[in-house]
Amino acid sequence: MNIYTDLTNKFNAGRVRCILSSGQALVLHGISLMSKDGDWIVREDDEALNHILHVLERCGARCRFGAPLDTRWLAGGWSSHFEFMTGKLRIRTDFVSRPPRISKERLARIWVEHEKSALPFVDLEALADLKKTNREKDYAIIGELARRITDVESRLLYSRSAKDILELYARHPEKTRVIMKERGITQKMLEAQDALEAALDAERRMLMHANERRLSRYAEAAHAWSEIWNDVARDVGGLSLLAAHTRIKERAETVLPYAPAEGGV
Amino acid sequence: MVFIRDEFLSEDDLDFANLSEEERDAWCNYWLQLAQQTNDQDADAYSHGVFMFMREPR
Repeated sequence: MNIYTDLTNKFNAGRVRCILSSGQALVLHGISLMSKDGDWIVREDDEALNHILHVLERCGARCRFGAPLDTRWLAGGWSSHFEFMTGKLRIRTDFVSRPPRISKERLARIWVEHEKSALPFVDLEALADLKKTNREKDYAIIGELARRITDVESRLLYSRSAKDILELYARHPEKTRVIMKERGITQKMLEAQDALEAALDAERRMLMHANERRLSRYAEAAHAWSEIWNDVARDVGGLSLLAAHTRIKERAETVLPYAPAEGGV
Repeated sequence: MVFIRDEFLSEDDLDFANLSEEERDAWCNYWLQLAQQTNDQDADAYSHGVFMFMREPR
């Protein structure tokens, strides 16, 4: 067991409260692109968040600058961040309840699917959507994830390789046309590898810029909170995590909006 | 003409699927230990969530 699967088990003792995401989920899908930090989709209810805070308190965690682990901010797409040391290892735990690019309906289905999972981690399709970030390297990961998807339509939806798509087009022309149309790729583009590659590059750029705009909105909305964070950190110094978190919530209520302008996620 | 497949990740990255759970965990733990060397460099950075364009105020 590694620290992140161990933490997932503790967070989910008695009930599934969170789903392992990002780098640690990639590991569980057999791709060794690890992250130093753990990232979870958390259930947006008070019992779940309170349980996780208690687990983190027992670990000796502290709150990093971020949103409180509270349904009001999480519902606005914010993320919460904690850190602790175990031996010589720095462990970071990051939480969201509204992962980007995952609709409410789909998120609800994900929770139902994982209701009885022993070790819940995000599936290939959701992971591919989460990886539609502003980082170039994440699109290579999406390309690899797509190759592991067995459903043809889903594979077409996420594929980053023109050659893979053209191979699928030869075998499933109608399905390919329909799915590619959803991605803004015309039949004419499907007739020439160069045109398809250019369309995939343009799509990647568009997705990267969309994520940049999303993160910029949060950075702007968090500006006032960042201005007082040093004072907040001094204010809670020496307090237990639970006491500190309560105080941080009170301070955040004065400056950190529950959702950024323009609706957030 | 030889068909050359697009490559996204290295063979090492993909070989992970062939490991047992114990081997995978051992590798993850080893990697995490090695990764501690960069703690000073990413002390105020975020790898997930909506604060990735920000640094933790110090």
